[in-house]
Amino acid sequence: MRLYVHWPFCLSRCAYCDFNSRVAARRHMEAYRLALYAELEAWACMLEENKRRLSSIYLGGGTPSTLSGAEISALLGKMTGRFVLNSAAEVTVEVNPANWSHEDFTAACAGGVNRMSIGVQSLHDPSLRLLGRAHDRDAAREAVRHALRCGARSVSADLLYGLPGMDVASLERCLDEILETGPHHLSLYALTLSGRSPLSLAVSRGEVSLPCEDEVADQYMAAVEKLRTAGYEHYEVSNFCLPGHHSRHNLAYWKREEYLGLGAGAHSLLGRCRLYNTDSILGYVNMLGKSQMAVDGWELLDAADEREEAIMLGLRTSRGVPENILDAGGDHLDDLEFRGLLARRWGRVSLTTRGMLVSNTLIAALLPA
Amino acid sequence: MERNNIRNFCIIAHIDHGKSTLADRFLEITHSVPWQKMADQYLDRMELERERGITIKAQAVRMQYSPGGEEEYRLNLIDTPGHVDFSYEVSRSLAACEGAVLLVDASQGVEAQTVGNAYLAVEAGLTVIPVVNKIDLPSADYEDTAMEISDLLGVDPAEVLAVSAKTGEGVERLLQEVIRRVPPPGGESGLPLRALVFDSIYDLYRGVVAFVRVIEGVVARGMRARFMATGTAADIDEVGYFSPDMISCDRLEAGEVGYIITGIKEVTRIKVGDTVTGREDAAAEPLPGYLEPKPMVFAGIYPVDSDDFTDLNDALDRLKLNDASLTFAKETSKALGFGFRCGFLGLLHMEIVQERLEREYGLGLVITAPNVVYEIEERGGDTAYVRNPSDMPDMGTVAEVREPYVQATILMPPDYMGGMLELVKERRGIFQDMVYLSGRRVEIRCRLPLAEIVVDFYDQLKSRSRGYASLDYEHAGFQPGNLVKLDILINGEPVDAFSSVVDRSRAYDYGRRITQRLRELIPRQLFDVPVQAAIGGRVVARETIKAKRKDVLAKCYGGDVTRKKKLLQKQKEGKKRMKMVGKVEIPQEAFISALRVTREETGK
Repeated sequence: MRLYVHWPFCLSRCAYCDFNSRVAARRHMEAYRLALYAELEAWACMLEENKRRLSSIYLGGGTPSTLSGAEISALLGKMTGRFVLNSAAEVTVEVNPANWSHEDFTAACAGGVNRMSIGVQSLHDPSLRLLGRAHDRDAAREAVRHALRCGARSVSADLLYGLPGMDVASLERCLDEILETGPHHLSLYALTLSGRSPLSLAVSRGEVSLPCEDEVADQYMAAVEKLRTAGYEHYEVSNFCLPGHHSRHNLAYWKREEYLGLGAGAHSLLGRCRLYNTDSILGYVNMLGKSQMAVDGWELLDAADEREEAIMLGLRTSRGVPENILDAGGDHLDDLEFRGLLARRWGRVSLTTRGMLVSNTLIAALLPA
Repeated sequence: MERNNIRNFCIIAHIDHGKSTLADRFLEITHSVPWQKMADQYLDRMELERERGITIKAQAVRMQYSPGGEEEYRLNLIDTPGHVDFSYEVSRSLAACEGAVLLVDASQGVEAQTVGNAYLAVEAGLTVIPVVNKIDLPSADYEDTAMEISDLLGVDPAEVLAVSAKTGEGVERLLQEVIRRVPPPGGESGLPLRALVFDSIYDLYRGVVAFVRVIEGVVARGMRARFMATGTAADIDEVGYFSPDMISCDRLEAGEVGYIITGIKEVTRIKVGDTVTGREDAAAEPLPGYLEPKPMVFAGIYPVDSDDFTDLNDALDRLKLNDASLTFAKETSKALGFGFRCGFLGLLHMEIVQERLEREYGLGLVITAPNVVYEIEERGGDTAYVRNPSDMPDMGTVAEVREPYVQATILMPPDYMGGMLELVKERRGIFQDMVYLSGRRVEIRCRLPLAEIVVDFYDQLKSRSRGYASLDYEHAGFQPGNLVKLDILINGEPVDAFSSVVDRSRAYDYGRRITQRLRELIPRQLFDVPVQAAIGGRVVARETIKAKRKDVLAKCYGGDVTRKKKLLQKQKEGKKRMKMVGKVEIPQEAFISALRVTREETGK
């Protein structure tokens, strides 16, 4: 079993965010933390012992680093008090470069965190300002160095591409600078604007313009090439790592292993059931305060759903999926292979880099009708 | 009832000039419909008609009316369809009347179709009662409209009545004028039966209900009858009239209007314009004016999902029960699979059929751009008709290609004359004549290839005249043209559904525009897709739809797979609205709008 804990609070809201996060007062955080503990307690009572053995914990957000390193340790202590942590378990916390001092990093490590994911996003100060991030280039690189020095086994950096005003050269510069600091893992996400985030409104008003599809695609291709040359394995659409530094927790999502999500809006996969908590922080806190579960809905998967998910999630990884679970005729696969969008090896089908860039279309084409 | 107290009349009006509202007032004044049942525009029965505000199927209603509570009259109001596509049906409805109320909107003035139908009425020997409607509107211009009508018909402006069908003002007076001016029907009840079929509807349980006007003789229940044009023999099961619901009676005499039911289930065996006579005491000659319905506009109709083919077939069969002028034949398209080549009287007719198929039968359809029928004279001397551009034979074997022309009348305020003449010229029209009807209206007469009209002529006419110009036309035979077949190749494969027949001098330009248009309409695929236009194997235009480069979901927040699945589901739904042609996904809209929009651009 894997455990995800959602910490929905941020110190400030980023300009591109329409995700489940809030800027909130300390006392709200306190109430939320108590609700988390209550939910943890409830699940711990319901799950059988073998399901309470954890091979990874992921503290995501929001911004978990709005808590101090010591508070993170305390939170982890609560979790491991009710669940059993395997000896080689991966314990990740997402860190905003603007939040933590070296002491926080050290305290978190001492409390059991062994993987740090740093939300660098960019090393270009004007871009960081446009994104509404609270840190600058130097703070970002400093955070990565702290994480590396404090004893974490793996350090990852998140980067965005396809930013307003960005071109291939500036992305490459940004990559060079981050690689200098020596993270083990990189996540590279395309800026996706949706909903009513300030940046997407600015784009719709014509105040900010986004690079075109071809430009964004060129950036991705260039980044993949650069990271490969630097020795990073491209193991998932958006993820790259040095050998042995895969995010095992995230890989579990792609492999459809079981996971339990705690917190507002958290998702779980338990057996053949996907369930999700209410998005509302207040709703979540109130429900658990009344000793009720905050489950907002669930979905029972039949064999066809499971197969569809396996294709959809498996094709995001470099391992791909066994050819025989695809419905598509050999002709169709031949054609896509000929066009350089997928590769077939040892009875498995995986997407090429170009294929990954159009994975939505490709996956929709390869799913059973 | 005394024949002298019968009046058979119809209302001639342009769309939206208030015909149905006026008919409603008639029904109210004559107490023909109980209050509870008085839905607005009672005569337009089909849901679609009510929604579009137009009358597709004619109806005939019998009303009892005694003006001032004295002598009682029987008024038969025969409704006429109000669109150019149905001019033959209009002419048959007129043949069932002695009088016509010519209704003109006081704020719009006379429109081309009104003129066309008014002349039809005059030619048919009807007494025309000109009426200006909507006098309650602030923008009403009664005097000018009355002058226009009097110019048109050569009547004294004082004879033009003024009404507001909406408020009811002047409507009683109009009914009285109908009684006063329209002559009672003639015809002898003692002669052998001759009854004109002017419309029919299909009843699920009783088969075809034919609307008839008895011209001579008597039609009675139990009679052994024959339809003279089709030769169909049938016994009259029921005779009756509409009031406005069906009310059966024993017989209809000369001069009367009503319906007959024979148990015949196929509308094709009882055709509009046919003459009913008795099998014993048969009339020697049928009534004049019968024509076979001749579809001039064709389009392919295909199910989006090929599994729906049988459903589409059933739906067309059922529509055909009610619509004798619809024709269809199975065809196979390489691009679209199995479907039907359907023939229509015109564009509106086509749209109505399409809407009914989608609405009443819930079918997802791909409809190709409409085309006309071509007459091909082969080198061997044989003549063939081509209803689908992709069937056009190799030009080497063809001596001549002829296309249908129409005789068109366009009516407009003089300000827009220049624009209209230009439009006629652009559309290969042959200008013939121009007449000033009054200071504010000019009439242009010209011949136009029907092919130019079926695409978007009407839209252009309206947009270049701010809606003031109107069009009427009648078919005027075939005429040779310098025509070529233009093929469209997508990803190297010809897509038959995009083939068209165009004038040679414009083929290059047309090919360039349609390929550009298709490049915009077809979404980027996983690979580069060339779009080419070719005449007889020679490529005249080429565009490339560049491959899609980026379409990826970045993050999966905290294992939220549900959201990802929803997005994927959306993508799959989108795929359903696409038609796979070879390896290329083409959206349904592309099949009709590619050819249509191309013309609009050419027009500018």
